[in-house]
Amino acid sequence: MSGLIIDSDACRGCGICIKSCTYEALEMKDKKAKVNENCILCGMCIDSCPFDAIKIEKEKTNSIELDKYKDIWVFIEQNNGVIEAVSYELLSKARELSKERNCSVKAILLGENVGKDLDVLFAYGADKVYISEHEILKDNLEEVYLEFLDKVILDYKPEIFLFGATNFGRSIAPRIAARVKTGLTADCTILEIDEKSGLLNQTRPAFGGNLMAQIVCPEHRPQMATVRPGVMEAVKKETNAKEVINIDMPSIKEPSIKIIENIIEEKAESISDAEIIVSVGRGIGSQKNLALVEKLAELLGGKVGVSRPLVDIGWADQKNQIGQTGSIVAPKLLVTFGISGAIQHLAGISGAETIISINTDKDAAIFTVANYKVVGDCVEILKSMISKLEKKCEKEQAV
Amino acid sequence: MNNNIIHCIKEDYVEYLRDESRTIGKAESISFPKTGEEVIDIVKDMYSKEVPITIQGARTGLAAGAVPRKGHVLNLSKLNNILGMRVDEEDNYYVTLQPGAILSQFKEKIKLRKFDTSNWSFESKKVFNNFCKKEEMFFSPDPTETSATIGGMVSCNASGARSYMYGPTRKYIEKLKLVLSDGDTLTVERGKNFAVGRSLVLKTDKGMNIEFVLPKYLMPNSKNASGYYVEDNMDAIDLFIGADGTLGIITEIEVRLLKLPEIIWGVSCFFENEASAIGFVEEIRRNLKDIASMEFFDKNALYILKKQKERNPGFERLPDVDEKMKSVVYLEIHAEEEKVALSNLEKISKIMNSSKGKSKDTWVAKNDVGLNRLIFFRHAVPESVNMLIDERKKENSKITKLGTDMSVPDEHLEEVIKMYKKDIIKENLESATWGHIGDNHLHVNILPRDNKDYDIGLKLYEKWAKKVTELGGAVSAEHGVGKLKSKYLKVMYGQNHIDEMIDIKSTLDPKLLLSPGNLFEVGKRSE
Amino acid sequence: MKIVVCVKQVPSTNEVRLDPETNTIIRDGKQSVINPFDTYALEEGIKIKEKIQGEVIALSMGIPAAEKILRDAVSVGADRGMLLSDRSFAGADTLATAYTLSLGIRKISEVDLILCGKMAVDGDTAQIGPELAENLKIPHITNVSEIIEVSDNEITCRTITETGKRLVKTKTPVLLTVLKDINMPRLPSIDGVINSLDASVIVENAESLRANKSYIGLSGSPTQVVKTYIPERKNESIEIEGDSETKSEKINSVIKEVI
Repeated sequence: MSGLIIDSDACRGCGICIKSCTYEALEMKDKKAKVNENCILCGMCIDSCPFDAIKIEKEKTNSIELDKYKDIWVFIEQNNGVIEAVSYELLSKARELSKERNCSVKAILLGENVGKDLDVLFAYGADKVYISEHEILKDNLEEVYLEFLDKVILDYKPEIFLFGATNFGRSIAPRIAARVKTGLTADCTILEIDEKSGLLNQTRPAFGGNLMAQIVCPEHRPQMATVRPGVMEAVKKETNAKEVINIDMPSIKEPSIKIIENIIEEKAESISDAEIIVSVGRGIGSQKNLALVEKLAELLGGKVGVSRPLVDIGWADQKNQIGQTGSIVAPKLLVTFGISGAIQHLAGISGAETIISINTDKDAAIFTVANYKVVGDCVEILKSMISKLEKKCEKEQAV
Repeated sequence: MNNNIIHCIKEDYVEYLRDESRTIGKAESISFPKTGEEVIDIVKDMYSKEVPITIQGARTGLAAGAVPRKGHVLNLSKLNNILGMRVDEEDNYYVTLQPGAILSQFKEKIKLRKFDTSNWSFESKKVFNNFCKKEEMFFSPDPTETSATIGGMVSCNASGARSYMYGPTRKYIEKLKLVLSDGDTLTVERGKNFAVGRSLVLKTDKGMNIEFVLPKYLMPNSKNASGYYVEDNMDAIDLFIGADGTLGIITEIEVRLLKLPEIIWGVSCFFENEASAIGFVEEIRRNLKDIASMEFFDKNALYILKKQKERNPGFERLPDVDEKMKSVVYLEIHAEEEKVALSNLEKISKIMNSSKGKSKDTWVAKNDVGLNRLIFFRHAVPESVNMLIDERKKENSKITKLGTDMSVPDEHLEEVIKMYKKDIIKENLESATWGHIGDNHLHVNILPRDNKDYDIGLKLYEKWAKKVTELGGAVSAEHGVGKLKSKYLKVMYGQNHIDEMIDIKSTLDPKLLLSPGNLFEVGKRSE
Repeated sequence: MKIVVCVKQVPSTNEVRLDPETNTIIRDGKQSVINPFDTYALEEGIKIKEKIQGEVIALSMGIPAAEKILRDAVSVGADRGMLLSDRSFAGADTLATAYTLSLGIRKISEVDLILCGKMAVDGDTAQIGPELAENLKIPHITNVSEIIEVSDNEITCRTITETGKRLVKTKTPVLLTVLKDINMPRLPSIDGVINSLDASVIVENAESLRANKSYIGLSGSPTQVVKTYIPERKNESIEIEGDSETKSEKINSVIKEVI
């Protein structure tokens, strides 16, 4: 039987585990902690015990031969023939992991007319590329890809299989995981090979990012994980690898989902979707300085956001307003100029990952949430940043 | 005197010449003290130079109380620490804070039980540890504008939707520390100093005795934030709550927390006409005891909300209201057990069906997620009206919001609503009305389209102030008098009583430097 | 048309805090609510029922107290609820959960459409939909932004892809996961709340579902959590100093690292 086990010798009756349980599943009996029927095996008490007296024990149920599974496979996602950047990021990560695990990195690419420029896959980390090109793979239909991936797993027995957490990745990865009855961890931010066990340690945020959880898949294969674009770094290296292998096609029946229309759109982002935002407030001084902010945003590939006072005085449009009565934003990078940090504004930016704030007032409230604090003149710093970025651009173009 | 604290008002500080009333003032200097000592230094400096001082918190006030006319602006937004906690023998918890602490942040800290206790006394830290183990508590005064400071709330005796059950800020203030106009300080604690009849004696921290004869007026029998709180044998602390910054500068506040009820449910009840809604409100008031808030929105308010939703991405998530519905009453049930809340819900259903409403035309929120949706909806109304006014102001800078803040005793609710409607229709004005109908306290907002509308609106306002006073009500029920309503305070009490108030002020602030223009015009004193 | 909406009970807030004395992680949120993403699936199911005739069944796997959210589902328009609850379901990861839910759906039988929210706010893996569809051997469509047409045996909907949008059509039975903001979930009326008190919520356990013990709960979970911890939050901001030139240089390099 699987369940929560409390080692009564190690248990000192301190009661900390009882406090950590949201479900009232632990109680003190005869000065030792005991578990009752409310336990849902969430494991919060395990971390709370200062004496490591609690563990969850699992019956070994699976009997596959783990030794037969080898190598790290990466699903190379393409849309309309263009490879998604996350696939390169995963290949590079796989390359790192393969060194620790002493195995190879294998890329699997499915699609129609996708076999042209495969050098790039080797440069990012693939030791071998497995490919299947067929008309039926053109539209990324889950029903079709499922059968191909099922056959790949059956034929090649990957120990680890990585997918990008894209719209398609988050649809196909769980489907294939359920097909082969293995474990899948979504949106991993850290992937490492455990020194002792050799297992893939998969770490991801939980409870909306308030907690981090480290997960393993000890007895099922492949160990599957999805990773969001932009989390891992894509690194190109010199390599001699170049082997490309065509894989057999599985038997596929007619897909039941029919695509009536496939529209490719320019990503028209609203400010709430922007990954990079340069925002500006009253501290910018005069209206003409806004042009500097726009220039910087352009150079960084981001959008311009404004605080409410600028909209009130007519310098900017409501659609660029960030804050309680404007838009809520959660960009990867937010650079603020001359924003003091009124509560209503802070409410709109709490999801920003990295905030760099520039303001002349060293006690401005914005600094309570900024990751980087810069006390200085907004206009001077803007001008200087822009000129440096422009010089860098020129240099890169010249190369 | 460290001159780094006092700044000249240049372009940088222009925003500090205004508050949410949208009036713009004038001043020569501004300071942002970070400690009580700095406040004393600044005040002494101004006293010696006879420079008037206007006190500011977050400038969210609607009565221009924080808008300076001249002189110095003392902005307390940096005096914002939470200093400690204590518990009394009846297990009531108290928190001491500085006036610049912001309400929304304070509420968050209580809810998450996250206080920065690093500078707290050992005693306070012990109390905090116990606080963390207890059931959830809350600070009950709930003005809609949660970015207000606690100091501001004390100065205008702020109320919110839940004040219907819990009462205004006044009830939860246990202790105040003030800096007086000459730099002396005063500490007042609830329960420690009472007037004898209308005679009151205070002792400052320096040991000076101050004697008052309190004004003789009787406060209205309805929700009130108009002028000084005075009554026979009153507690001294109450004089300083709702005083609009005219008697001293608050530098420390001790507030009392309450235990949060186990069950909080919100119900929005929609009606096809306003008369049914009002009948419904009166029945609910008579029959249900577990109602914490009772809020009303008229058809114009709903219409403006609908329009804003179409234009503003921030309001996209507002639920749609059925076109047929012309008014909504929001009720909040606070109870300790679910079966009590359910029984309230059943009674509301019965009363609604018998008030020509239909119990299916309701939205019920039984948890935080739903409640937040309903709160969002309710707060969107004043927000939309403000946005509308801002747009009109761009064309015509004279236009500002004309919102009433008057309350009447229970028996006059219907009469006064009829009067508002009749007058507005007669003058062909645009308006929207909403508010705390449980306390007979509605905000009638006139939305001027041009200067003519604005002037007519002002005249109506004065007419209504007179009528409301006749009916035994208050001209300012929660926003405070500030500068914008001083003339209505005069209508309410008459010049003689205003003179009595001026006497009180002059005793504490003989040079008349603090918040000139708030509550009354000192120059207009009758000799 | 028979529609099953999968709903999960989650805490009303994801806030976690540290007990100052013991330094343990305490999860707040004594309130339990329907996972917000599921409310969109539920609303979509109810809208379909209102358009073409049908029955909406709210299905959940959870502790006995989860019955409450099934009644909440009825209060906004679901016809009945089914709760899958058993001690042996505890400790389930997404694979075991999907298996268990599939047993519930098989028991309900003749289901035409299954609607799921995109993900749960506490686990937020977004895996249940596709894994459940695989267990039932039916097609699935994720990222549905609009259901355009529904009939008893066919569905046409719009989905969001990496590169834009698609219009797809498929025969039922099918499982759809819907996006946030596909609709505006309604709040219950008083009538809805009162009616839900008597609503039928059937509780099934491992035995009544004839579950295979090695596929449920902890035993049926290939993944396990080995540790949880609170991520280090930088409360202190790092100050960038120097003259304007130096500052701008440093800011640019921070930006380069981030993007």
